[in-house]
Amino acid sequence: MPGQRWYTPYLFALPALALFGVFFVWPALTAIQLSFMEYDVVSPPEFVGLDNFVKMMGDSKFWTATLNSVLFLIGLFPLLVVAPLLLAVLVNQRLPGIRTFRMLYYLPVVTSMVAVAVAWEYVFHQQGVLNWILTGAGLLDQPIQYLLDPFWALPALILVEGWKSMGFYMMIYLAGLQTIDSSLYEAARVDGASAWHRLRRITVPLMIPYIAVAITMEMLDAMQVFTSVYVMTKGGPQDATLTLGYYIWSAAFEHYEMGYASAMGLVLWVVLIGMAMLNYRVTRGRS
Amino acid sequence: MRRAGMYVLLTAIALVFVGPFLILLSAAVKPSSQAVFSFPPDVIPRPPVLDWVEEAWTVIPFPRYVLNSVIYVGAMVPLHVLVSALCAYPLARMRFRGNNLIFLAILSTMFLPGEVMLIPRFLVVSQLGMADTFAGVILPGLLSAFGIFLLRQTFAGVPREIVDAARTDGCHELRIFWHVMLPAARPTLAILGIFGFISVWNSFIWPLVVLKDSAKYPIALGIAYLAGITGTDVRTLAAGTIISIVPVIVIFMLMQRHVLEGMRGAVKG
Repeated sequence: MPGQRWYTPYLFALPALALFGVFFVWPALTAIQLSFMEYDVVSPPEFVGLDNFVKMMGDSKFWTATLNSVLFLIGLFPLLVVAPLLLAVLVNQRLPGIRTFRMLYYLPVVTSMVAVAVAWEYVFHQQGVLNWILTGAGLLDQPIQYLLDPFWALPALILVEGWKSMGFYMMIYLAGLQTIDSSLYEAARVDGASAWHRLRRITVPLMIPYIAVAITMEMLDAMQVFTSVYVMTKGGPQDATLTLGYYIWSAAFEHYEMGYASAMGLVLWVVLIGMAMLNYRVTRGRS
Repeated sequence: MRRAGMYVLLTAIALVFVGPFLILLSAAVKPSSQAVFSFPPDVIPRPPVLDWVEEAWTVIPFPRYVLNSVIYVGAMVPLHVLVSALCAYPLARMRFRGNNLIFLAILSTMFLPGEVMLIPRFLVVSQLGMADTFAGVILPGLLSAFGIFLLRQTFAGVPREIVDAARTDGCHELRIFWHVMLPAARPTLAILGIFGFISVWNSFIWPLVVLKDSAKYPIALGIAYLAGITGTDVRTLAAGTIISIVPVIVIFMLMQRHVLEGMRGAVKG
């Protein structure tokens, strides 16, 4: 074969492998190492054994952040796993102009999280459109300052995160729906099955692999929420929106506790891998 | 009749997804005589003005941020595609020791979530002397499992005969890669280009961590900076935010078919 020597393939892969080594393997090893150290960037790192992990156990802020991240996980489930499936079914019809609707639903996905966060601050404003709708419908007596209210701030951010990514999950499901043979639905219709029945008996069972993908991604996304918190609430009010992603960032880059932040990152990392594997097992067992 | 109901439903949902942007747009072009917030909402500007757009353009070094984003996009999008294609080619078309290992290693990067890698990657970049530089923002973003995966699929589907014909003509591998494989993969390259543009234009966390000097900020970071300046008028902020999302929305509208098909390709794998 002209031109191909044993090392040819490696030469092609070299740039990717170099980047992999420098920006993935090396940092991953650094992360593990730092978890057992105290490092404030100024003075040299100092080995402290398991101190960081012990500190984590007694750090009430860490537990608040963990709880909030779990609340994100739960709150985003209906928004990113369930609702997008219904949306996908809706836009999977043959209708003139349906592509335009798909595009509009996908719009927040291509827009930056920062822009989305700013846009929603206008919606959540005391005299914003959300308060107008809710008071107008008689669901609220008094307008709420959603982002300044310790009870409402977290649900508000969950709504923003869900709204931003819903179109992405819809497209995942749409990809799946388009693999389903339409004769299955026609047969069911002839048998007089209702729309709900068709969804439950045909769509959902055939979509299980896609639902599994959506669940895995939803978990990874929910546990890493950062930008919306950074722009809209900085973790407040009273730590009500402090998430693991934000707490780790703040420990590292506001308080320069690199070792402690790495230790928390490592724990999060193990949890995420565990979640992904568990999800893979469970769904593989079912299909 | 059923169809009409369907369109009402589809439009109502569309309003939910577009509404917040419309509110932003309305605040950005309202004259100062008209309140931004009121019950009931008064969203039609009378008349629309560009004062706030002008103001946003000068309160922060907006042109600088736009230029920076153009630089990041201009460097990262082609390099990311090139690195991915170079790696994908042997994985798709050559037999060699360790090919599975390389593929698995690249795929495993998907399980190293960005947030978790933030701190150690920042420290590595600092040790390399790339903190607060354009290179520090650009280089770590060039490797993606998504790009390699998608191109590997595409290259694997290029007909054998074309490649064999080129080989008989005495083409060496680099020429085959450049003159046969890349042209054959044009649609996939376009998809990667669009996705790359969107993600680099919107990039936020990594530049936030790497950059100290705000003169190197990409546009999304510039908007967060504008939002953080106390006393920024709500109209100015709205105008700045609108300007920052216009390019990405224009590209998306022009290329939407590719974007949506790319999603499908990536999921099916």
